[in-house]
Amino acid sequence: MKGKITAKRIAFYAGIVVVWQIVFSLNIWTENIFPSPIQVVEDLAYGAADGSLFFGIATSMWRLIVGLGISIAAGITLGIFMARIESVNQTIGSLVLGLQSIPSVAWVPMAFLWFGLSDAGIIFVTVASSMFAVTINTYSGMKNVPPSYIAAARNMGVSEAQLITNVMLPAAFPHLISGFRQGWAFAWRGVIGAEIIFSFLGLGFLLNVGRELNDISQVIAIMLVIMIIGILIDGFIFKKIERKVMSRWGLA
Amino acid sequence: MTKLEAKNIVKHFDHNGNQVLALDGINLKVDEGDFVCIVGPSGCGKSTFLNIIAGLEKPNSGEVLLNGKAISTPGPDRTMVFQEGALFPWLKVIDNVEFGLKMAGIPKDERAQISQRYLDMMQLTKFANSYTYQLSTGMKQRVAIARALVMDPEILLMDEPFAALDAQTRDLLLVELQLIWERTKKTILFVTHSIAESVILGNRVVVFKNRPSKIKKEFVINYRRPRLAEDQNLIKYQQDILAELRTEVKAQIKGEFEE
Repeated sequence: MKGKITAKRIAFYAGIVVVWQIVFSLNIWTENIFPSPIQVVEDLAYGAADGSLFFGIATSMWRLIVGLGISIAAGITLGIFMARIESVNQTIGSLVLGLQSIPSVAWVPMAFLWFGLSDAGIIFVTVASSMFAVTINTYSGMKNVPPSYIAAARNMGVSEAQLITNVMLPAAFPHLISGFRQGWAFAWRGVIGAEIIFSFLGLGFLLNVGRELNDISQVIAIMLVIMIIGILIDGFIFKKIERKVMSRWGLA
Repeated sequence: MTKLEAKNIVKHFDHNGNQVLALDGINLKVDEGDFVCIVGPSGCGKSTFLNIIAGLEKPNSGEVLLNGKAISTPGPDRTMVFQEGALFPWLKVIDNVEFGLKMAGIPKDERAQISQRYLDMMQLTKFANSYTYQLSTGMKQRVAIARALVMDPEILLMDEPFAALDAQTRDLLLVELQLIWERTKKTILFVTHSIAESVILGNRVVVFKNRPSKIKKEFVINYRRPRLAEDQNLIKYQQDILAELRTEVKAQIKGEFEE
């Protein structure tokens, strides 16, 4: 069953490459608008050989990890306060929903003015784009903890702090994981978007360089790298954790 | 000696803006080491009464005394076994059982010693490292009982713990619970809607009247233990209680039609 799906997928992607190559061979567009798959692979190989590609990946990943780390820590904390103190939810909670609706690149001008051309500016954009998704999921997770868990814990004499850390957060973990997954997706968009505009190292910077050099194959190559990293992180980290959590919590 | 005393417990509920009287002055004394069952039609407020004793809900008036001292908050001296188990799915069986001890700051070695005793008693040793999703409903309730007993409560509160079990599993646990009661000498207050369960388990069976709840009558079951579910001699007790409850159920059905 699983092998069948994999085979289907391989056939699908191989098909795309074949069609791509055929369209290229028809010479409808010039090479600097529509490159061949071979040119894109060559570009990747070139970037890999001179190290610029790996340096770009490492820079973007480092910003992502720092930004997402801050987002998760701050987002969970804020979510806990919203879930446990009704006034916080009624006031800050409404602001969080508003801030969540701001597209990540809209934070860039502010980040530029506050932090200048620096890692801090890009990390700020990453945090601002991803933190509130974590907050909202933490909040709804804690609000959806079965009342019987809370009753059982209080019945055994737990303190408020113990109730939060030992019962509510673990009980909300399936929600937290979806929050992390959403947060990571927003963070990744935020990092790349900010890097394009800041044009200060990273994969987004390499995309921008490709545009400035009129090098369409570099642009496509970097986009492929961004997509593949996205697929790998989502599929190999978040989906795996989510599946495990769901079965243990009896939700799957 | 009186272990637990509920004095004139009154509880109102807000129902669509109307004040509904749920408990209308409940008085109950439970002696140390006694096994008392509360039986009544569903919705009669017996679970609310148990929650008040556990400190999970507050009465509008009246007080609960444990060993003569008034209680108002939940505490491990009155652990409860819930109908749905309420086990924590992120913990292994052994960690569920040790949860309350861990929260109380009991050191690891001591915890292990205590939990081992109750895992053995509930025949859970083989499942100590399982997660709850791997257990049947009956096994889950064994874990829930062990989790409540490790706290060495003054009184064990049980809120329809066997209601969701299949008949065979329930009959087995009914016998086991009697043996555990004899072994641990715990005071137990057990709420159920099943008359059969109440006469198998209880030294005393307290019948709750419909809303507003009051204690309607009390029965003393003087019969040898362990009592088995299929024991025909218990039917006589069941019939007495059923006669008392039947008027209640009828009144309730009539009430629901009029609403």
